[in-house]
Amino acid sequence: MENEFIVRIQAPAQIIMLRPLDVFVRHLIQQLPAFEGSQEIVDNLELAFSEAFTNICRHAYRSQNKGPVSIEIKVESDQLEFRFEDNGETFDPDKVKCPNLDVPGEGGLGIWLIRQVMDEYIYFCENGEKNVLRLIKRFSP
Amino acid sequence: MEVQQKNGVTVIIMDERFDATVAQKLKDTVKNLAEQSKIQLVIDLSKTRFIDSSGCGALVASLRALIKNNGDMKIAGPSSQAKSLFQLTRLHKVFEICDDVEVAIRSFSQNT
Repeated sequence: MENEFIVRIQAPAQIIMLRPLDVFVRHLIQQLPAFEGSQEIVDNLELAFSEAFTNICRHAYRSQNKGPVSIEIKVESDQLEFRFEDNGETFDPDKVKCPNLDVPGEGGLGIWLIRQVMDEYIYFCENGEKNVLRLIKRFSP
Repeated sequence: MEVQQKNGVTVIIMDERFDATVAQKLKDTVKNLAEQSKIQLVIDLSKTRFIDSSGCGALVASLRALIKNNGDMKIAGPSSQAKSLFQLTRLHKVFEICDDVEVAIRSFSQNT
């Protein structure tokens, strides 16, 4: 496998797509030399991907039946990036409340979890047209 | 997802992945069971390699539905990924977690 590459996927933002995409992503990142033997990091990347895709399906497109999501998995020499683009509703991640872990809830953990396991969480609306979410995990030196 | 009865205890065996594709199904199943009678439930995660926040939310909702109807729930056989997530979200303090289904079932009989 090449050390640097980009994989692009265009899919409907529907929960039924979650498993096949997640399984593909897991198998892909398991093969990266940077994560060889790092089961916990692979688990965490799978978790971040699952949470991000689920949020787009549930929240970005909540007022519509469905919409597209573009996914880019970019592996560079020193980091891995998941980039999601959707045309659904924009939100302000800074206004999402941190969960109170002393009072277990039935939801609201997704963004918090992503931030726990990834090195960078970057969200913005590009040209008022599409929402972009960039999740970055740097490889350990 | 499969529902079984073992020694008077209801056991729900979850699949390899426990995510948003199955979370609502578990919540609906447990709510229906809890409303019918007081039940003792084991959620068997021994086959579940991966769980996310949707799965965790479904477990919290299930526990609440059971407690509301005087039932109880234990979790059996979580993977290392599930254990890590329970720790991170502090749900290990909320759920009673057993090594496997048999231990979970025995612990119900010891409590009664």
